[in-house]
Amino acid sequence: MRVVIADDEADVVVFLKTIVEELGHVAVSYSDGNMLTQALVRETFDLLILDWNMPGKDGIAILQWMQSSLPERPAVIMMTNRSAKRDISDALNAGADDYITKPEDRAVVAARINAMLRRNAGSGAFDAEAVYGKYHLNRIEQTVSVNGKTITMTSKEFELADLFFRNADRTLSRNYIMETIWRTTAALATRTLDMHISRVRAKLDLQPENGFRIFTVFGYGYRLETIAPSK
Amino acid sequence: MNLRLRLAIEWLAIGLLATGVVVAALFWRGTSSFDNLIYDHLGDVGRPDADRQILLVTIDDPSLAALGKWPWDRKLHAQLIEKLQAGQPRSIAFDILLSEAGDADSDTKLAAAMAAGPAPVFMPLHFNTPGSDGRAYDTVMPARLFATTANGIGHVNILFDDDGIVRRSALCFRPETLSENWPHLMELVYRGRTGGPSTAALRDTECSTELLIPFAHAGEYAEISYSDLLSGKTPDQMIKGKDIIIGATAAGMGDNFPTPNGEGGLLSGVEIMANMLGAIRHDNFIKPLPMAWVASLSLLPLWLLLIGFLRWRPRVVLLMSLATLGMILILSTGLLWRHVWFPPGAALLGLLLVYPLWGWRRLQAMSDFMSAELRALEQEGEVSPIPVPQSQATDLVGRQSEALAGAIDHMRDLRRFVADTLADLPDPMFVTDPDGKVTLTNDLFNQRLGRDITDMPRSTALDLMVADEQRALVDRYLEQAHDAGNPPEFVRFVSRQDRTFVMRRSEVRGDTGVLHGHIHYLTDISDLARAEAEREEILQLLSHDMRAPQSTIIALLNGEIDADTKKRIEQNARRTMQLAQDFVEMARMGETEFAGEDVLLADLVREAADSLWPLAHERGIKFAFYDRSDGGFVLAEPDSLQRAICNLVDNAIKFSPDQGTISISIVRSESEPAIIVTIADQGRGIAENILPQLFTRFASDGEQRGRAKGTGLGLTFVQAVIERHKGSIIADNNPDGGARFTFELPEAPEA
Repeated sequence: MRVVIADDEADVVVFLKTIVEELGHVAVSYSDGNMLTQALVRETFDLLILDWNMPGKDGIAILQWMQSSLPERPAVIMMTNRSAKRDISDALNAGADDYITKPEDRAVVAARINAMLRRNAGSGAFDAEAVYGKYHLNRIEQTVSVNGKTITMTSKEFELADLFFRNADRTLSRNYIMETIWRTTAALATRTLDMHISRVRAKLDLQPENGFRIFTVFGYGYRLETIAPSK
Repeated sequence: MNLRLRLAIEWLAIGLLATGVVVAALFWRGTSSFDNLIYDHLGDVGRPDADRQILLVTIDDPSLAALGKWPWDRKLHAQLIEKLQAGQPRSIAFDILLSEAGDADSDTKLAAAMAAGPAPVFMPLHFNTPGSDGRAYDTVMPARLFATTANGIGHVNILFDDDGIVRRSALCFRPETLSENWPHLMELVYRGRTGGPSTAALRDTECSTELLIPFAHAGEYAEISYSDLLSGKTPDQMIKGKDIIIGATAAGMGDNFPTPNGEGGLLSGVEIMANMLGAIRHDNFIKPLPMAWVASLSLLPLWLLLIGFLRWRPRVVLLMSLATLGMILILSTGLLWRHVWFPPGAALLGLLLVYPLWGWRRLQAMSDFMSAELRALEQEGEVSPIPVPQSQATDLVGRQSEALAGAIDHMRDLRRFVADTLADLPDPMFVTDPDGKVTLTNDLFNQRLGRDITDMPRSTALDLMVADEQRALVDRYLEQAHDAGNPPEFVRFVSRQDRTFVMRRSEVRGDTGVLHGHIHYLTDISDLARAEAEREEILQLLSHDMRAPQSTIIALLNGEIDADTKKRIEQNARRTMQLAQDFVEMARMGETEFAGEDVLLADLVREAADSLWPLAHERGIKFAFYDRSDGGFVLAEPDSLQRAICNLVDNAIKFSPDQGTISISIVRSESEPAIIVTIADQGRGIAENILPQLFTRFASDGEQRGRAKGTGLGLTFVQAVIERHKGSIIADNNPDGGARFTFELPEAPEA
């Protein structure tokens, strides 16, 4: 698949290009916002890795331009030095599909790029059983077992866990989660989602030690991250 | 000319004028009519009773009817005398002029009767005015026969006052041409009885002094009709021992005179004689006060009142003027009681003159003064334009008053304007008088200090304001400001409330250069001072804390690059980043209001630990969670709170032994709706001596080594964040070793 990298720092471009190519994809790069938009009009890409501060046109402006003027949009990962909660939620709400704060581990970046490309490829297989690391999901029984031990969960908790595992390394908005699990966003106390996620986290003991962690993107949503085996 | 001098001159002028008027009135008896009026109305004061020792024998209308037309044959008189002498009176006085010789037989009989005794008989003489040959008067003696027979000859002059009323008499009359006095007939009667002159006559060296006669009520003196006496109807004991005065009372005989005895009626000459004799006998003549005394008594209250005018307010002046008038009347009455006559007219005239005069001059002076002041006020221009009021008053003074009232209103507005301006000054200020007492403060100052220091001495006020160790500095500034030369323009001090102020003092001087006091302006530069301190810290951060890891990286790059070196380079780079991040967060916190959102604290803590898992994992360090928060939410700024928790966890990892366990517990507070988070490691713990300053910025600097080294902003940042979340944090050591950080955050209520 074709990945376009937009960043004016050569080191970062090289770092990202290496990851993308190691994942088996094609990488193109631009260091100027205007040149990027021209390329986006001309060519088709599957993923855009977008820096915030760029000459020509900045990241947010490009996102807005894409929303209004680009009929076929690639997935977008915003990757910048900006780490403030507001910046992250602004970018996600402006149309970015994910957000990575620099600096980030090579493995994490690879997982996130992969997840984004995977989604775009439309990985929609719903098998009766699935294995994610040490977690075995039985979608018929709606149970999760770890090391042969079955963990009791409610229906909603299982659906939430399943949603996270299937979308590992992708940032999911709260609205998306609620619509998917509860089929509604209305009349649902905001704390309900937090409480469910907290219970899933606790029951499955989702922590780096077990190969996963749940990451809260404040002001936007959640992401289940896979932890690469120790280097 | 100033108002004071002008008033003084006019005061003196009024006083002298009034004095002149009073003296003139006294001299020319200008007020005699008034005085007489008063005197007549005071007639009942000390009015004597008729003397029972005096008997009048009156030639009345019935006598004329019985004995025929006047003049009568003197034989009748002789018979009368004989009858009287038979009754043994003490004396007999004729108030009938027998100046020309009559029928010789009759005259002889009368003379014989007179001489027969035992009582002495006195005869009157009289004076014809004007006299013949250009003399003032002619002395008309009784007929020779009588003159020689009579025991004494005295005058019976009636003295008329200017208004034709008989009030007074003199005990003797000194004719112009003679050195001899003619005593009054009644004085003779008195002498004939005692042998010596009366006390009243003796007292007055000048016997011709006019004395006021105290009149008894008209008709009170006992009288017998001439004809009754002749016809023998009178018992002898009525006559015995009495002083007999024979005179005419019949209306047609013209011997009646107006007297001031209150009834407005006429009194016969013979009754006037009786009253005189009574006064001589009882020595109760009313003596007129000598002129010098009258003048003194008239002028003294006048000048006292004038002096009072200078001191009293107008209303008091009026009251005192009225009171003085009353006092003079009372004095006059009182003296009359003591048989002394003080005519109050002149004194009253003076008083009545001086009050309106003074009022007029004063009004004039005030009017001129107001005009001048108003003009001056307008010309000064500082307060112009003075609003000109609509003139509705009818007179000049009224209009001036309105103009003045307008000017005063204007000044009042100005004063309020100044007061409001002071009160609204953007900086605290206070004013002291030359003695150093605080006279004025503005609202802002009171607000800052939390109390009003008005009327306190400056030093007490400063005690309340200035921190002890800064006091000397402030005092030195205030002392130096007195000196000429180049005193410092301001002094900077820290207040007791731990705020930083700059104080500037300026002098207030009046138009004439007199020092009225000082204005002290204070400027709160606490924010500036804090910014300054922060700038210092930034410089510190940039110059040392940020540089140090970079220097290490450069040093490492000079050596051989192996896996270990790479890792150390990464660690140093991350440390720089963390510092920068903390610093940015800290700066942001200083600038923005707290804006929290609902956050599940337990998950926030877990994610913070998760983010540092790679660091812990490398060294085999494990996290042990103990979550009994039961889904407790807090109101948090997730960015900064998570960073703060990361700092604590990072710190715990840094000081944990390899393969150690970091305990993280999240529990609910038992005492209040709050959640308590404890992060404990198994390291060496915190040295007791740096525990107190653990949360101060850059506690790692200087000689503080070990635990705090390298934390830089870390713990200060943590504390700032926790406090921003209305929580609290403490650090201590576990009883079984290792450092323990505990913070508490208030639970957010369910939305």
